Amino acid sequence: MGIVMTNHALSLLQLCDSSFPIGSFSQSFGLETYIQKDKVTDANTFSEWLHVYVHEQLAYADGLAVRLSYDALDNDDLDKVWELDRILTVQNLARESRDGTQRMGDRMLNIAEAIYKIPVLTTYAQKIRDKQAFGHPAIVFTMIGHHLQVEKNTTVLYYLYSTVVSLVQNAVRAIPLGQTAGQKIIYTFQQQLQQTTDKIMELDEEEFGVVSPGLELSQMQHERVGIRIFSS
Amino acid sequence: MPEWTGVLDLVMENRQGRSVAKSVYFQGAFKVMRPVYFNKNSYPCYYLLNPGGGYLDGDRYQMKVTLGERAMLTLTTQSATKVYRTPTEQVYQETVIRMKKDSYLEYLPDALIAYKDASCYQKNSIYMEKGATLLYAEILTPGWSPEGEKFSYDMLRLKTEIYMEGQLVVFDHIKLHPASQNMNELGFMEGYTHLGSLIVVGEKTNNALLDRLYETLQQEAGEFAFGLSKLAVPGFTIRILANYTQVVERIISVCHHVISEEWDQMKPSFLRKY
Repeated sequence: MGIVMTNHALSLLQLCDSSFPIGSFSQSFGLETYIQKDKVTDANTFSEWLHVYVHEQLAYADGLAVRLSYDALDNDDLDKVWELDRILTVQNLARESRDGTQRMGDRMLNIAEAIYKIPVLTTYAQKIRDKQAFGHPAIVFTMIGHHLQVEKNTTVLYYLYSTVVSLVQNAVRAIPLGQTAGQKIIYTFQQQLQQTTDKIMELDEEEFGVVSPGLELSQMQHERVGIRIFSS
Repeated sequence: MPEWTGVLDLVMENRQGRSVAKSVYFQGAFKVMRPVYFNKNSYPCYYLLNPGGGYLDGDRYQMKVTLGERAMLTLTTQSATKVYRTPTEQVYQETVIRMKKDSYLEYLPDALIAYKDASCYQKNSIYMEKGATLLYAEILTPGWSPEGEKFSYDMLRLKTEIYMEGQLVVFDHIKLHPASQNMNELGFMEGYTHLGSLIVVGEKTNNALLDRLYETLQQEAGEFAFGLSKLAVPGFTIRILANYTQVVERIISVCHHVISEEWDQMKPSFLRKY
């Protein structure tokens, strides 16, 4: 190893930067539908949306998948990892959100492969090329976190954080909100990220993929909203 | 493993172009009525019924339906499935459907009504082979409660897994748990009380069909919201939020008509209930 003591958590933090180019700036995951319907109009209504999105959809799908795939990597159980890649993708019944996530996963994997030499990333990339896997950012992120020996709950927390940071950036542009208002939301959301992480660490695997009907509807409806600056 | 309250096992086959039951087995509080061949259809409609009148504390039901190659079937219920108070143990229903090559199944049950303090877990596993077509609908209705609360049931959990040639292609997990979810808030039921789903898996799915379904639903009267989107395999989901069972039923029925017209140039039978 060239660099002996890189701060490992710092390396993972690089992936959480909203400028990390995986295309998250073009995914609103249904937020744009709420904006178009005047249901999300300011910092307060956006925070309400973000709360449900993170505590529910993100926790039950991506968040739980980070924890489960981390365990699977610990146990060298790659079949379980591929199973999670598939279920994460097919449980997303809204096409745009599903496809957008897949593109993000693909890009994250490409960049990660250029930075790191992690055998399982190479295997994942090959499986995607062979159409045996879909590609999901939660799985790629976990592979890197696990490789960097960042603790499991920290990996979960950082993944949630990375999602929140890009969603806030998107809200700042789309609603629009002031940059300061955006940063305030990220700051006040820290406690909720910790709560959601704690919840994810306790969740039974049986709870995977619970749908939030309103959120899902807005993600499906996005396909047909009039003016779009996001692709989901 | 506790015993089943009711078991049903139905095997359909295509016999020289006509779909018939190869075997029908039921036991306990689960029955099917004699099949009805509507409009000289080559395939029957089977009605499921629950002679007990409803699901009670700790009841466990198992249904297995198998369709042979090119076999076709409409499966529905005679009336709504009612789940009553479950003070000690949730009601569990397990459905396993196996669909061979080029088979066709419409599984369109009436609403599942969950009354005060009812808890119910329904698990559907559907294994399809290439060329098979599935139309599956579900309606979740909150039961009347003496206090007039909108959501007086304890929990409704519905898990549906669809496999195509052994690969998971659809996973749907609905869990409505009013005690821990802000049902009326943004993101959840958003002021509605009823949730409907129509999941269709079929190779003939194309954008023209989805556009037509969307246009049709846009013109439907009544208070409801819907979302429509393609699956990862040829097929789509329609999710409906409304305040009346009848509204969800009507929307599902309208979609059923459009799909049947596009795919078979025929009108689906009106599912008569006795």
